[in-house]
Formats: sequence, C-alpha cells, structure tokens
Amino acid sequence: MSIISKLTKSSGLIALALAVQVQAHERFMVPSHTLLSGDKAQAVTVTASISNAIFHPDRPFGDSNTGANVGDLKDLFNMLEHQVIKPNGEVTTDTRWQAFARLSVADVWFKESGTYRIGLVQPEVNMTTFKKIDGTFSRRFGKNPKLPEGVTDVVRRTTSSRIETFISFNAPNLGAVKPTGVGVELGGDTHPNDLFAGETANFQLFYQGKPITQPAKIKVIKAGTRHRNERNEQQLAVAKDGTFNFTPDSAGFYFLAAETMEKVAQPADVDVKHFSLYLTLEVFPE
Amino acid sequence: MNKIRFSFALICIVCALTLSALTHAQEIKVSVEIPQIKANPYHKPYVAIWVETKRRKGVHTLAFWKEQPDWFKDLRQWWRKIGRDKTPNYDAVTGATRKPGTYQLTWDGQLNSGENVPAGQYVLHIEAVREQGSREYIRQIITLGDNQTQTYQLQGKTELGSVQISIK
Repeated sequence: MSIISKLTKSSGLIALALAVQVQAHERFMVPSHTLLSGDKAQAVTVTASISNAIFHPDRPFGDSNTGANVGDLKDLFNMLEHQVIKPNGEVTTDTRWQAFARLSVADVWFKESGTYRIGLVQPEVNMTTFKKIDGTFSRRFGKNPKLPEGVTDVVRRTTSSRIETFISFNAPNLGAVKPTGVGVELGGDTHPNDLFAGETANFQLFYQGKPITQPAKIKVIKAGTRHRNERNEQQLAVAKDGTFNFTPDSAGFYFLAAETMEKVAQPADVDVKHFSLYLTLEVFPE
Repeated sequence: MNKIRFSFALICIVCALTLSALTHAQEIKVSVEIPQIKANPYHKPYVAIWVETKRRKGVHTLAFWKEQPDWFKDLRQWWRKIGRDKTPNYDAVTGATRKPGTYQLTWDGQLNSGENVPAGQYVLHIEAVREQGSREYIRQIITLGDNQTQTYQLQGKTELGSVQISIK
C-alpha cells in the first residue's frame, strides 16, 4: 500500500497511467442504416463486436442471455446497459441483444421521427495494473486482486465506456444527442447524422454532462482496415473547451474513439478512473 | 509405360546432379529493422522473411516471428505461399515477436531437404503486420548459387525500417 500512496502523491502518476494500456481491443457498433425516412415505423439492425479490424467483427459484444456461449465474456455482457435514447431524450434499456460466435445483433424499432442514440454502456470495472519484476506491465481485474510478489508501480483503476451510434428517422433532432451526464459523450454544433465528405464537422466532447476540460485523446479510423495496409489512424486535437473538428475526406463509416481519465482524491479505493467513448459515424458522399 | 517412368526418373536424377554441381556454399545475410512506433497499445509485429521462386512458389523461410496462431493469417502473403500448408516447413526458424531494433539473419542457402538451393533468380519477401497497426510487404529479386556478390538496400515506410541484403 505504501507504493500506491507514494505514487499517488507523485506527479508521475498521470504519465504512468497513460503509459499503460487500459483497453486491449477496439469495440464498435455497425448500424444497417443511420438515416431513414417514411411514414410507417421502421427498424434498424445493429451489430456490435470487439475487434481491431475496424467494422469487421471478431468477438461478440452484448447479449441478453439468449445467444451463443460467449465463455469469459459473459460477466462483461451481464454488466452492459442496453440503451436506446429516444428523440425526446427518454432512455430505454429494454433492447434485446443476441450474441453469435463473432458478433452481437439487435433490432431497434423507430416510431417517432427524430434522432435515436443506440448504446451499450459499460459501467465502471475495477482493474489494477502493475510492473512485474521482469519490467513488463500486467493487469488484474476485480477489486483488491492478489498481486504477484515484488511488483511495483501499482495503480488501482476503473474503466468504463460507451459504445454508441446515432440514427435519424425523418428529420434529426437533438433530444438524444444531449449528454446523459454519464462518462464521455459527443455534442457540438454539427449533428452526428449530418456528415458529408469534405465538410468540416464541429463537435464537442462532454464529460459527466459538461464540456470536457481535462486532457482527452481522440482518434478516428475509417472502416475497412482489413482491406488496406495502412491503418491510417488520425489523431484529432481537442481544444480546452472540448471542441474539435473532423473533416472526413471520403464517404463511409468512421470509428471515433475518445478517452479521458480522472485522478481520484485520496484516500480512496481507486487511484485513476478511465472513461472511453467508441462511436460509429456515417459520412455520405458530397 | 515402365520405360517412360524409368526415363523420367533418370532425367530427374541427372537434373539434380547438374544443379548440385552448379551450386556451392554461400552466405545470404539479411538485416531487418523493426522501427520504433509511438502507439498505445503497442504490439510487436508478426514478421516473416522468406524466399520464393519468381513464379511464386515457396522455397525457404528465413524467419517467422509470431505469437498466437489465430493471427498467422495476417501475414497474408507468407501465409498463402508457405504458412498454411507448411510448404516448405518453417519450424526451425520460428521465434517470438521482436521488439523494435535491427536484427541480422544468415542463411547458407541450404533447403530443408539438405540440398543447396538451385542456382537462379529468386524473390526475397519481407512482410510485417502489427495488431492495431499497419501491414508492410517488400520484395527484392536476388540471384542465388551463381557466385555473384550482391547487396541491396531497401527502406520500409510503416512497419519495416531499413533492410539490407548481402549475398556472397
């Protein structure tokens, strides 16, 4: 315990916290549509997966206990909140997800016109990272896990994330875009369903419902990494008030991952809290 | 029928004898740089270095650095030409993934069969792929078994750095 308190006091904690990877793999949703029109109710089928190949699934993400045997992912899936935020801002949690071997699937129905936010929200999970005697970093999940002998640089963390996408039925509105106040969320002047190639979108990152003020990292990767050699990961600069610009050069689905962290005042049972947003955005041709 | 088979076999023996007569012990040196890349998380790349005929038949693997079998297929070219069928077998040259740095490999031109590689033109292939990173694939035509000293200097752009090939 003395190591932890020493570390917490030192200014090196933030650097160390950022140096250690907290999320091993990317995770995302892919909606069949992000824009719909019509005068009758319509559905969108959404898939979700944990995978480093952007928008090509590798492992499922999300399940309502009706799907495939997901083995060690079951505990994680039981934790997820299956959110659909309706155009009036109402948060529903009764969407049924089903895991298959390589991805999870959900149908979401839209009756009222406006913008919907589909989310799989992972609450805080405890994790401890540490440096082993051989100099490599490792991690253990759970509160107060038993650590190997002689480890140093012990940091007690939590990670939480939102995996989301936006879908508009007829005219878009802002009821579902407005931050819920939990974790990292997207807002700003540009509507997330109004993105076109070559146009600059002006977004703003929110943290716990307010424009983010602490440092945050945003990266964007265009769909289809499996079929090109360069990953072409783009880092976006975030201003002090959380605003940032994104100018997609071509149409398609884009993966946007934003992350931030907060140092917890001690004494407490956690040193650092990590928050991530994994967002799928669709860009249309000019 | 028997006669035809016999003469075919005879021709093959003659071929083999001729080829081994033409070849001699040699030294193929490859130096490969795995560049330092700022990424978080950073995963060490899977790398394969191998020789094919100009008609794209796998000849010999000089190095195969890897972790889990699930991702062998991401070394796409090596996997399709050598990896998936183990043709020719590469067990002797496998190893764990390497951290950024420059690595030297030496091959004496001997095939798994114990024979020296027949003289002629070949293509040296170098492929590297990193999880949550990019993939790079570079090639160089080389001449083997011809008593011809050669050096080549290649430069990767993403997952590979400087590559030097020297043959004598």
